[in-house]
Amino acid sequence: MHQIMSSTALWYASRATGVVSLVLLSAVMIIGILVNRQGRLPGLPRFAVLGLHRNLSLLAVAFVAVHVLTAVADSYVSISLAAIVIPFVSAYEPLWLGLGAVSLDLMAAIIVTSLLRRHLGRRTWRAVHWLAYASWPVAVVHSVFSSKDLQSGPLLYLALACIAAVIGALAWRVARARAAIPRAGRVPGLMGDPSALARAGDR
Amino acid sequence: MTHHHSSTPRGAAPGARERDRGAARLRAVTVSAATASLIAAGAVAFSLPGATHHASSGSAASSTQQSTSGSGTSGTSSGTSSSGSSSSSSSGSESSSSSGSSSSGLSSPSSVPSSSSGGSQVTSGGS
Repeated sequence: MHQIMSSTALWYASRATGVVSLVLLSAVMIIGILVNRQGRLPGLPRFAVLGLHRNLSLLAVAFVAVHVLTAVADSYVSISLAAIVIPFVSAYEPLWLGLGAVSLDLMAAIIVTSLLRRHLGRRTWRAVHWLAYASWPVAVVHSVFSSKDLQSGPLLYLALACIAAVIGALAWRVARARAAIPRAGRVPGLMGDPSALARAGDR
Repeated sequence: MTHHHSSTPRGAAPGARERDRGAARLRAVTVSAATASLIAAGAVAFSLPGATHHASSGSAASSTQQSTSGSGTSGTSSGTSSSGSSSSSSSGSESSSSSGSSSSGLSSPSSVPSSSSGGSQVTSGGS
């Protein structure tokens, strides 16, 4: 009985840390999007926003680690160690846990390249960092479908809020990028029209 | 290195003072986020379906070994929350009542596990 109880505690810990991980990863995504377009958070200078992005990423990774380890350690479901990193080999919910493994692998790539950023070129690091955009939706699908917790009730609304917030941040970023294009387009116009250049200099 | 302190001296440039203030805010926000995450994890764990029931059924299950009627009532009340426990409680009236109460807490995540140590006396054998 004690074994069942402790196993259940691990199972609940895994599910709870999974939910918190989803929220943290969403927050990391949103801040990452804001930082990239020179976004500011109220009361924080730009370097602190970058630092918050990094700190929240590390916090999210810690929660993901607890989520994965407790899922493996508990004996209610059998999840092998290999299933953590190798997708679709788990005996329990192979598809949805496999997506979790894919997301974790992408996350690991982002972490490793971020740690080795000094030794990598900026282009390489940036290319790998873009994997975050693939990792997050995969993690969301894993979260929603591997457990019924996020399929109803308040946790469903929480998951929807996370998705809406990230989509909203992405939309804001796309809108800002579109608004920046006409400004860049002005440069050739100014170069081609000397009078326009003079008018711009008068301002 | 030697000049880098958490609080800048009086004559320091305003930029450096601003930077220190930003770093302090960053630290505060990070600590708050970590604390809030831990509290949220605890709250979610307790609010998950079957969590509070299981905590109480742990003590109730030990008493069911002496009195089966009490566990029977708790088994039927928990049977409403999950379909798996209702089928097992109908098949085994008194022997599976304790397993029915424990499965009601566990069956909420998703489908029945493929192979589990507890499964031999709990749900999979009963069905």
